[in-house]
Amino acid sequence: MGPRERLTVRTELREHAGIEIDCRKAFEPMHPDDNIEALMARYQQGDFSAATELIERISPRLHRFFLAQSQSRSDADDLLQETWLRIHKVRHTYRSGEPALPWFYAIARHVRVDHYRKSLRKAAGERQLEAMSTEVEPVQKESESADGLSLLLAPLPESQREVIEMLKVAGMSLEEVARATSSSVGSVKQKVHRAYKKLRETMGVTGTEKGQSGVYLER
Amino acid sequence: MKDEEVDSVLAKAARAPYVLQPGTVQRIADSIKPSLRPVRPLPSARVLSSGLVLICATVSLAGAARAGFFGFAKMDLFERLLIFPALILLCWVAGEGFVHAMIPGSLRRISPGAILGFGSAALLALFASLFRDDQTDHFFSIGIVCLLTGLFHAIPAALLGWLLIRRGFAVNPVAAGLMAGVLGGLAGVGMLELHCPNFQAAHVLVWHTAVVPLSGVAGALVGWALRFRAESNAREHAQSE
Repeated sequence: MGPRERLTVRTELREHAGIEIDCRKAFEPMHPDDNIEALMARYQQGDFSAATELIERISPRLHRFFLAQSQSRSDADDLLQETWLRIHKVRHTYRSGEPALPWFYAIARHVRVDHYRKSLRKAAGERQLEAMSTEVEPVQKESESADGLSLLLAPLPESQREVIEMLKVAGMSLEEVARATSSSVGSVKQKVHRAYKKLRETMGVTGTEKGQSGVYLER
Repeated sequence: MKDEEVDSVLAKAARAPYVLQPGTVQRIADSIKPSLRPVRPLPSARVLSSGLVLICATVSLAGAARAGFFGFAKMDLFERLLIFPALILLCWVAGEGFVHAMIPGSLRRISPGAILGFGSAALLALFASLFRDDQTDHFFSIGIVCLLTGLFHAIPAALLGWLLIRRGFAVNPVAAGLMAGVLGGLAGVGMLELHCPNFQAAHVLVWHTAVVPLSGVAGALVGWALRFRAESNAREHAQSE
């Protein structure tokens, strides 16, 4: 029995039992992402409710993406705001029929890289390059503001971290991640492979202790 | 530890509820509301790529029409049938690369660097197989003129290409600049093949082919400079605030 037939039988049973059914809800797509493309098209037509719904749906993912990279909630807030301004400015570059999620992430990634480069230049004027090249340090400083996933991905280099974040948290496919990162599917696979190797090492050696202390497994 | 275990740890961490600070969504929505107007989406990548190929062909033909079709007249049918379709094909590949560099979230089949390398290598292979004249008369003096002529035609082709897809958004301006440069360079080579009657192998291999990598590198530098300027402006703006 297919899903539509199953739905029909369920509908008939409910009608028989005298329960009112909202047809719109009954035919809502099973996966919430199915609608993002349609919302995006409406956003391009100037529909404010579609824009708000998109912001509601996409923002938590983007915020988490930024948090996994920057480890600081205030930075992630700023980057999220900046990303939406950029998205709004270039919303005409989305073409219907294309997956919307990689489009959002490509812009978010651009904003993050821009931000990182600016902060790097700013810091370069103040201190030596070696002092700021430590990427893991902020985890210790601001770990209270980062979520469990950010801590888990902290040992990975930035390029691997973003790929894992998109694949495992945003639930994107390899092709979608390749689109978002302007790279090939092969390159994404390679990054995932390396990231898993590193994660296996980290979780296998130090992760057992951390797992027992609850840093990795309980959050 | 196995991959499945890593997977389950990641999945567990990802499933943890994630909420934004209250008011964040409303604040963002309010910030975009005043400028929310209908926008016209960009045409499909195929339409834009075709437009870019057309621009290259037009620049090449216009340049050759002004300087003379001496090269085309000297070529035999076989050479014409190999060189010009190959140039159109390379223009199409570079055009697609340029379009993808200007549209976020596009699926990139070949990286801009690979397009530059592949395009230059393909031209070298093609010219090496067609031109067998080993003489090197006035190698530098004539060669420099051809190189400059090719680059001179690469600039308008790249600028017109950029004009066509200026509404796009380059997530990587260096890659977009590189692709614009390669595209312009191919238009320059097209013009040289139509115009230059010097079929000495060394001349064509070095000076004609060099137009593509040189204009590609110049385009990448322009992209880098534009990004640098944008960053500097943003920094100054932030400091003034």
